[in-house]
Amino acid sequence: MLARPSGAQEAVPWWRDVESARTLVGDATPSTEGVWIDLPYLSEDGTSVALGVGVDRPMTQESYVQSLHVYALKNPAPEVADYFFSPLSGRAEIATRIRINETMPIGVIARISTGEVIVAEREILIVTIGCLTNAATYATTDVMRTRVRVPEQFTPGVPGEVTTLINHPMETGLRTTLAGETIPRNIVTRFLASVGFATVFEARFYSSVAVNPYLRFFIVPPQSGELVLRWEEDTGLAAIERRPILVG
Amino acid sequence: MTVTRRSAIGLLAATGAAAIAMPNVARGATGNVVVIGGGFGGATAAKYLRLRSPELSVTLIEPAEVFYTCPFSNLYLGGLWEFEAIGQRYDVLASEFGVEVVRDRADDVDVVARTVRLAGGASLAYDALVMSPGIDIRWDGLEGYGESAAGTAPHAWKAGPQTELLRAQLEAMPDGGTFVMVAPDNPFRCPPGPYERASLVANYFKTHKPASKVLILDAKDAFSKQARFTEGWAALYGDMISWVSRSNDGRVIRVDADALEVETEFGQRIRADVLNVIPPQRAGLIAERAGLTNNSGWVPINPATFEAAAAPGVFVVGDATISAPMPKSGFAANAQGKVVAANIVALLEGREPPRPSWLNTCYSLVGPNYGISVVGAYRLVDGAITEVVGSGGVSPVSGGPEFRAREAANTFGWYHAITNDIWGTVW
Ligand SMILES: Cc1cc2nc3c(=O)[nH]c(=O)nc-3n(C[C@H](O)[C@H](O)[C@H](O)COP(=O)(O)OP(=O)(O)OC[C@H]3O[C@@H](n4cnc5c(N)ncnc54)[C@H](O)[C@@H]3O)c2cc1C
Repeated sequence: MLARPSGAQEAVPWWRDVESARTLVGDATPSTEGVWIDLPYLSEDGTSVALGVGVDRPMTQESYVQSLHVYALKNPAPEVADYFFSPLSGRAEIATRIRINETMPIGVIARISTGEVIVAEREILIVTIGCLTNAATYATTDVMRTRVRVPEQFTPGVPGEVTTLINHPMETGLRTTLAGETIPRNIVTRFLASVGFATVFEARFYSSVAVNPYLRFFIVPPQSGELVLRWEEDTGLAAIERRPILVG
Repeated sequence: MTVTRRSAIGLLAATGAAAIAMPNVARGATGNVVVIGGGFGGATAAKYLRLRSPELSVTLIEPAEVFYTCPFSNLYLGGLWEFEAIGQRYDVLASEFGVEVVRDRADDVDVVARTVRLAGGASLAYDALVMSPGIDIRWDGLEGYGESAAGTAPHAWKAGPQTELLRAQLEAMPDGGTFVMVAPDNPFRCPPGPYERASLVANYFKTHKPASKVLILDAKDAFSKQARFTEGWAALYGDMISWVSRSNDGRVIRVDADALEVETEFGQRIRADVLNVIPPQRAGLIAERAGLTNNSGWVPINPATFEAAAAPGVFVVGDATISAPMPKSGFAANAQGKVVAANIVALLEGREPPRPSWLNTCYSLVGPNYGISVVGAYRLVDGAITEVVGSGGVSPVSGGPEFRAREAANTFGWYHAITNDIWGTVW
């Protein structure tokens, strides 16, 4: 327990100020222990900041982490991404890259299948350093080209890591051309991973996911089969990758 | 004012003699200042402390007899300069400026007792401590790249035997070979350094091994002065240099130094003829030993004074600090060393430290006659180091050959000026 100076007002938790977060928390009284946020102390380039989020909880049918929700609280739209897990995820943990406009807190909500809700937040400093004058040089070629890495072999019952990337500009709809015309919004909005007919992991992206969306997550496939990965753009376009899964 | 008081009291309390120190105000500052590290930041601070206050006793601790500068080490790697041309000595600091130079390594610092223990066994008491230990490699930061791997795949990110090893490998490489450079994610020492190195290695290949290639595998999607470098590479080296961004699977996750092979995030295995791995870095180890780093591995400082946040009275400058938006450059370390010297003298004299401002110019050579630069001026605004709006200037893309030659000449001029300012007779 943190001691507060007498008379000090209880600060309003961040999630009360964000409508989608407030809806997620609902009637639950959130706890604040158990979610970790891995972020650099300071980033010299807010256009693509490495973020890791996880909850160290068992992932069984009886109780598992259902979802993680990330917010960049001072971005034009605070929602960054939602991640949905299943017991076949094995581990409630992701790594990605996000856009952070300025020094701000990053908020996370975790929902457990038992109805429990956990909230967490962490501050990150964004300072663009001299010598780096390059925000405009991020170029995306081969849009919708995907890259995937899965373990050559899974050990039964042991979660293995899947690394993915899709080339995509993730246009926010907030940028204008030199001529003053708005560059239309164009982002990847959804990512799905399934083994057999079961969705093992799913994600929703908003415009604060960095260019060329990068995502690492875990799966614990029950038997050998095929992993199917699907990225969907807001235009309806989709990219699909299939990888054999070997368990043994 | 509050900062001044606290720091001044901190400094004077160390002598246990605030009352004794007071009468000295009229005569200028006295006391013992110990400086750890005789590189860009430390040697500057030592010299400027003595210049500003000849009654101060200043002890500079540096293990090397000759300090080889990272700036211009890329010219040596590219065969344009002799190694000895980037060697700086401490004779002038000792003989002309009265700095006591102790050739030893600081092994430990007790910030409460205010003593520094040297590897040789001696213990030095200080009234104020300056630390500019530069960087150390995170030997656990990249799989397969431990200390022994650097013997086969040099980093050459501290100038010295590593730089000589890399040069020898480049010379021994047959024509048609590939020089592979693994470039790190931010933050790291000298943001344009890897790309200047790639340029000057290409310059060497162009004249001596024209069928060879330079391949940069990067953990970043963008880099310092990228548009200028890219333009210069095309103009001078055609397609000799390739750069692979992180999103194009440029991030190396494993090094096999014996096989001269690296593995990327999505599983490509790439073999090199000469492999230069620039690994993740952190503040020089002595900073952590003294308890000054936070979990980032770098030292948070009070931007107004450059005192370590964890230990007032200990001044830290250079690459070891978190002083963004100033970059980790020799230019910045030199500017910070001067500001800290002025601060310490002011505090010892019981005056308020001067209002700091800093300048940084980041020069890089794309070729011997082709220079590019970025300028930034920095001031303290609301307690934070802030780039002065409109001060930043990047030399224009397509500056034209005469402009590029002038920028190259300025780069050489800069090197002579700054090394003289730090280790030479000039001030
Ligand atoms: C390839 C390359 C090119 C570069 N080019 C440029 C350039 O063109 N322009 C530019 O401005 N910058 C350049 N830099 C960056 C520049 O080298 C650094 O920013 C600068 O050296 C930082 O100064 P420093 O005082 O923090 O550290 P350093 O200059 O590295 O000095 C640290 C010193 O501390 C000593 N030391 C460490 N630990 C101890 C201890 N425990 N006890 C005693 N002494 C200790 C070390 O021996 C060393 O001498 C370049 C860097 C590289 C790698």
